Amino acid sequence: MRHGWLLCAAVCGAWPLLAQTPKAWTQPKTAWGDPDLQGIWTSTEMIGTPLQRAETLQDKTEVTDEEFARREARQKAEEAFDTAEFVGPQTRCDPNRGGLGNTPDTCKDGVSIGPPLYWQDRGKPQRQASLVVDPPDGRIPPLTAEAQKAAAARAQARRTRGAADSYQDRSIWERCITRGVLGSILPSGYNNGNQILQEPGMVVLRNEMIHETRFIPVNGRPHMAANVRTYMGDSRGHWEGNTLVVETTNFLEQPVVNNVPSSPDLRLVERFTRKDADTVEYRVTVDDPKTWTKPWTISFPLRHEKGYHLFEYACHEGNYYMTDALSGARVEDQKKGAK
Amino acid sequence: MRIRFSQLALLVALAAAVPVRAHHAFATEFDINKPVKLAGRVTSMEWINPHAWIHIDVTEPDGKVVSWMVEGGSPNVLLRRGFTKKSLEPGTEVVVEGFQAKNGLMRANGANITFKDGKRLFLGGSNPEELPQAGK
Repeated sequence: MRHGWLLCAAVCGAWPLLAQTPKAWTQPKTAWGDPDLQGIWTSTEMIGTPLQRAETLQDKTEVTDEEFARREARQKAEEAFDTAEFVGPQTRCDPNRGGLGNTPDTCKDGVSIGPPLYWQDRGKPQRQASLVVDPPDGRIPPLTAEAQKAAAARAQARRTRGAADSYQDRSIWERCITRGVLGSILPSGYNNGNQILQEPGMVVLRNEMIHETRFIPVNGRPHMAANVRTYMGDSRGHWEGNTLVVETTNFLEQPVVNNVPSSPDLRLVERFTRKDADTVEYRVTVDDPKTWTKPWTISFPLRHEKGYHLFEYACHEGNYYMTDALSGARVEDQKKGAK
Repeated sequence: MRIRFSQLALLVALAAAVPVRAHHAFATEFDINKPVKLAGRVTSMEWINPHAWIHIDVTEPDGKVVSWMVEGGSPNVLLRRGFTKKSLEPGTEVVVEGFQAKNGLMRANGANITFKDGKRLFLGGSNPEELPQAGK
């Protein structure tokens, strides 16, 4: 009997734990033995999670309950806005509210100058405080003295030009050229799909945004010569356990994030780690010692989103915007000249 | 320090490099001082990237018909949110609030688009399971 109690103490006590243990997941392998990361993975649910952390949060990687409640409230407000049956005060913009379509430049008499704001993907409230996870304060490190000087010179030069004197005054995204490696995978209002395909010695990563595709050798092939430069860089991968590590170099000088262009020394190290059947953890370290005083890292989960297909985004197909922006600026020039 | 034009173009290009939500700066394309309210009949919808355009014919008080183009959202996200080719058939009467293009063409953004009865053009529902499946 005494043994019976002992047995029960061991088994009965453990039972609730056993019952709650999620079904074990093991990393599947491809036929040739590499970890299998294939599938479509989206960043949709991270829309709305800020890139950088609020300074008040300091080293806290998760927001407070109070802030989480604010994020939940924001999602409810978005839902109410998106599903309002009629146009009303709730759906009209407010220049004092701030944010997309709600600034003095983009909102007048309750009408926004943008597209209908409810025609975009929406995220889910997250406890993750910021997409930047390192440095520990979740803030992109300061620019180097050299980069600060260059930024000041650019700002000065910018003041001498109009908004659209040339197509070159507009961004490379507006010109449908690229959003770069980072911009193509960071959560956005649309085109948040990414597809991973594998074959022996090669991983292919498709981004829905601007339908970029990177072919990433994982067979030890060396990088291209240093003088070969592209917007999406030159990627080489290898496996560390079940993690795909991708090092990308050979970038053209281009914006990375927050209006800051990279130097030719930019090096990105991305890590793709499948956490379960529905999640790939994405982590990217931005290392450009000529631009930032130290490397910094973004991390967020990519998810399997039921029913998500990657659609083509042939961005230049109907980019009437560019001719409108340029011809509109010429009309404004004429008006100024006539005064 | 002198800056070459190519460098300038680069830095200007940065302006939209942050994770913003619309593909381009609508305030560069449309004039916030030229508000329009258009009541018209849909003639077609261009499902094109980076943003879809709705074509409408507006009959002015003197009977003259003016064709307008109205810029909307990006086709991929429209489809994901449940907007299909059937959502806006030719002939449908709509009312559009927005701003006219700076170049004076009959183009406007469509911040608020409603049916004749005042209902908003499309009630968002971001449920991927409700997506129309390819080939159906």
